[in-house]
Amino acid sequence: MNRRKEENVKKLFEKFMEAEQAEKAVEDIRKGEQILRENPAPQPSDELIAGIKFEIAKGLLLRQTDVSGFRKTAYKIAAVAAAVMILAAISIKFFAKVDKPYKAVKFEYVSIIPTSIWESDDIATDDTDLAILNAEVEQIEGEMLALQSDENGGNSQRAVTELEMELIEIDSNFWKG
Amino acid sequence: MAESDGLARIIIGCKKGDGECFSQIVDIYASRCYGYFYRLTGNSNVSDDLLSELFVKLVEKISSYKGGSFESWLFRIASNIFHDYLRGKQRRKKLLEVHKKQLESEPTETKRSEGEQFDRLQIQLKKLDTDTQELIMLRFYSQMSFKEIAAMRAEPIGTTLAKLHRGLKKLREVMEC
Repeated sequence: MNRRKEENVKKLFEKFMEAEQAEKAVEDIRKGEQILRENPAPQPSDELIAGIKFEIAKGLLLRQTDVSGFRKTAYKIAAVAAAVMILAAISIKFFAKVDKPYKAVKFEYVSIIPTSIWESDDIATDDTDLAILNAEVEQIEGEMLALQSDENGGNSQRAVTELEMELIEIDSNFWKG
Repeated sequence: MAESDGLARIIIGCKKGDGECFSQIVDIYASRCYGYFYRLTGNSNVSDDLLSELFVKLVEKISSYKGGSFESWLFRIASNIFHDYLRGKQRRKKLLEVHKKQLESEPTETKRSEGEQFDRLQIQLKKLDTDTQELIMLRFYSQMSFKEIAAMRAEPIGTTLAKLHRGLKKLREVMEC
């Protein structure tokens, strides 16, 4: 893997200068590197090397723990995903067998107003009914006032019941048309 | 050939997360990488930290190694770590310039560690610019070819040759004074 030995420095220099100069340059480099060899840098301490190796071992252990943790999570997710897919497949199969066509939900409503009133073209009759209703309401109003002022001699409870009966009757008569 | 085969096997082991293989990589390259960092920083404590960081990064990035010169790949990481350190140092320097009083009281990292003795080479190296220093150390400790160094530094091979030649020549001159 060391390509330095394969390299011909003199030839490299000769690309940029004359052979004689190139030779001198190579010699300068050789002498310069000789100085570096004669003055070696200090060596890393044994404690430092041991510390680095310990850090590497610790890092690798942590990494393996992380990977196994990740794998566990991945397996769990895969199992859940598989279960969901199976359920979905079964559901689709199950619903596909039903022959009945899909029926849309239909909302219905009922009007509280009698249809006969709305559809009636007999305005005169309707007016008469309304006039009677109005008169009855006015009568009840009067009775109510009498009750409030206690004009019927303290027999309020009976009067209220009668009034209620009357109201129910009016109501049913009105809505019957 | 056998040496490179052995290294290839170790690297495969590293890729599989084998702690023993990483340990062997540390044994093979720790000394050279430490020398590289020490000659560039001139500080054993900083070199300790940078070497530790390098091997931590090696573990993290080993999966991205796709063959080719392993030294080239490893020293590219080492070079990046050194440049990060330089940037951090520049930031700290700027901060210290703002607080001049602190500058006087706080020791900078370029100062010697307690009891540390610089050899002559380390002192003379400071007379070269950082780029030339790095180029010399990269060539010496990584054992990379000029072609590989030029590619790593993204510069023409002629530029690399000329810079290294000038740098080593100057280093020899100052060492001989």
